[in-house]
Amino acid sequence: MKDNILNSKKNLRILVVLPLYGGSLPVGRFCVAALKEMGHLVETFEAPEFYNAYNALDNLKVTSDRHQYLQNSFLQVLSQAVLAKTETFEPDMILSMAQAPLTHQALKRLKRDKVVTAMWFVEDFRLFTYWQSFAPFYDIFAVIQKDHFFDKLKEIGVNNTLYLPLAAHPDFHHPLNIGVIDSRKYGADVSFMGAGYPNRRMAFRKLIHHGLKIWGSEWEGDHVLDKYIQLGGRRVSSEECVKIFNATKINLNLHSSINTDELVSGGDFINPRTFELAACGAFQLVDRRSLMSEAFSEGELAHFNNLEDLDEKISYFLAHPDKRDLYAKKGRQRVLADHTYVIRMQTLIDFAMEKIAGWPKERTSEKLFTPDFPEELKSDVINLIEKLGLPLNVSFEDLVSSIRQQQGELNPLDTAILFLDEWKKIYKR
Amino acid sequence: MKRALVVQLTRFGDLVQTKRLILTLMGRGLEVHLCIDRSLKDLAEILYPNCIIHALIAHGTGISGNGISSALPVNYKVFQTLKNINFEYIYNLNFSPMNYMLSSLFDPAKVIGHKRVNGQPVRSPWIDLGFRIATERRNNINIVDYWAALSPEMIPASEVNPLATPKGGGIGVVMAGRESRRSLPIDVLAPLILAARSVNKNKKIFLLGSEAERDTGEKLLAKFPPSIAKDVENLVGKTGWKDLSKTVSNLDLLMTPDTGTMHLATHLGTPILGFFLSSAWCFETGPYGEGHTILQADFDCSPCVESQPCYNDLKCLEPFKEQSMARFIATRKPDHLPQGLSVFESTCDFLGTQYVLKAGQDITSERRARLRNFIGCHLGILDIGEYGPFPKLAEKFYKEKDWITGSRL
Repeated sequence: MKDNILNSKKNLRILVVLPLYGGSLPVGRFCVAALKEMGHLVETFEAPEFYNAYNALDNLKVTSDRHQYLQNSFLQVLSQAVLAKTETFEPDMILSMAQAPLTHQALKRLKRDKVVTAMWFVEDFRLFTYWQSFAPFYDIFAVIQKDHFFDKLKEIGVNNTLYLPLAAHPDFHHPLNIGVIDSRKYGADVSFMGAGYPNRRMAFRKLIHHGLKIWGSEWEGDHVLDKYIQLGGRRVSSEECVKIFNATKINLNLHSSINTDELVSGGDFINPRTFELAACGAFQLVDRRSLMSEAFSEGELAHFNNLEDLDEKISYFLAHPDKRDLYAKKGRQRVLADHTYVIRMQTLIDFAMEKIAGWPKERTSEKLFTPDFPEELKSDVINLIEKLGLPLNVSFEDLVSSIRQQQGELNPLDTAILFLDEWKKIYKR
Repeated sequence: MKRALVVQLTRFGDLVQTKRLILTLMGRGLEVHLCIDRSLKDLAEILYPNCIIHALIAHGTGISGNGISSALPVNYKVFQTLKNINFEYIYNLNFSPMNYMLSSLFDPAKVIGHKRVNGQPVRSPWIDLGFRIATERRNNINIVDYWAALSPEMIPASEVNPLATPKGGGIGVVMAGRESRRSLPIDVLAPLILAARSVNKNKKIFLLGSEAERDTGEKLLAKFPPSIAKDVENLVGKTGWKDLSKTVSNLDLLMTPDTGTMHLATHLGTPILGFFLSSAWCFETGPYGEGHTILQADFDCSPCVESQPCYNDLKCLEPFKEQSMARFIATRKPDHLPQGLSVFESTCDFLGTQYVLKAGQDITSERRARLRNFIGCHLGILDIGEYGPFPKLAEKFYKEKDWITGSRL
């Protein structure tokens, strides 16, 4: 499937609007990487660059209504910035990640201007309920949950809903040869990487005899688990995650729940870690989710059903490295075949084509290599196209857009092409 | 020797009007390179023999097709050359997307004027201020000074061009500028030429203009009686840059609307009698240097916007049609000056070229003088302790971001 996607000739322009912070931020970055890999032209709205300034409003010590007003005004500025970028880049689609800084007003404006917007809501709709207010303003609303959520979205008039589970990005999530130093730092018999949700706290207190290492944030105030928390409980970067996954014999993957009654919540959506661990060729023990059976077959993931079961399976798999390897190998194969961000992005694009009449709009594009293309420039231009990762049949317009995204001083050929583009616009050639 | 590059991609007149900046840079001991459209290469070599010229294709005239086989290879070569030269400063003068793209070649910290920083078009603070001042067109400054002020240590305005002095070779007449609304129709122009000729010792008349005005030249010639026509040399569309310069340099007077040839004449010290009407406003683009005369149409709608249609039946042309106009040209006596016209004479002051009222009216002169002082203080030419402060002007022309983020400008 991936080869077909990469050979697809339709190069789209996609503006990815990242959130200011949070769990959907790395997902957004993987979307950007995947779309680029697919040969699309991608611009990113780097909302995280504005996050410190936004937070600084919290230190003003002003009245609550003023504080609210300033926060709203700040977000209006960000929204306006997205609109300005849209005006310049003219995307075929704006792909927003959950919590992207787009206000109602901006979304209305985009609708008026017939700019197709998609939201990939990679959150639990039961916990993060703001979707009710924003979903109706998007042309496409992609989610990681199914039946009940679809019904609720339909109730509020959102029809273009797409089930789009999370994924892995194999260029990033892949097996690593872990050196001695990293192995000492990140390695363990049993590890958990994630935030300290109540069900996890309860469970892990009973698993510490396995020499558990706990990575991630929000574990404060737990006297039992305190000494097992790594790196002082700071957020772990995506790069570090890959090292931890690779250096650990058994990666615990317990989906979060705010409910402490039940260790295994039996929820529906599959967390990103499931795909990322599998893509790394790392072994995981993961709780069953209702949507898991359609994503993975038996033998591709090792499951547990309750705490006792988990405790036993840890001991079992620690003693049976060959069994671990078999699961890890199969899991990786499945993710590479069906659960990459490239595949997800293609699903989203196919969905947009199916649901939105006339999308993407045809652009008037000019062939670059016409018969009168100067011979002496050909090899330089081909080198440039290759350097930019574009197909050889790239249009002049897409080449220009791609060069425009480069930072810093440009070389003479880049400059000459951008200059020519402006010359053509001025003289209408 | 340190090098500076001046990028001037617009037309004939603008190239001449870059002179004060170029001389200033030379005065600072810099080797000056000039990047221009290739149609102006020969002219640039005449105007600036000590500059190194880089000629690219920035204009559309004479280029067919989409530019891939013409503009791209030529410009690529020029950009390769420019990239290999270690410029200390790049003065990028035109507010044009092409200029912004060209600036991508260089470290933005070295680019002055219009530049692109990580894909974002950005203007130097002086250019920004200049755009704001230009909203008050009646009191604007000369574009020569606007460009020159991008550099410190501007040479004195009086040293840019020679003092205007009749050369004894007769009268030159420039047919039209690029915008026909800014030029006098031949019926209006013909009697004025005859009036000027009547008081000039050398009776020769040279008609000047581009290929596009050849027909106008013929028609004007036909307006003259045979006794005068014999003294007329119709050079319209027949001169290259060299011939044009030679002809203009010998004239006693050049009668012209706001044209490139007018600026060339100032460079050569040939006196101008300029007809400024419609969107032409001498305080913006008048002849540079001392001793030139401008007849400026001054109405409530002056100066208008070139790109917008005239809704006033070209009323600023009317005074040029009046009978007394020819008498004024011959005698230069204010009594004969038609209503609606003002006469200005060019002179030089601390900031640049200034125009002094000789006849007619100049209702914003006081404000203009104040604004010039404000700009002088802004540029550090005048001492604000002595001439300022200018709270009202400062409030209007300085913006919050200048004050708040000034250190980043």
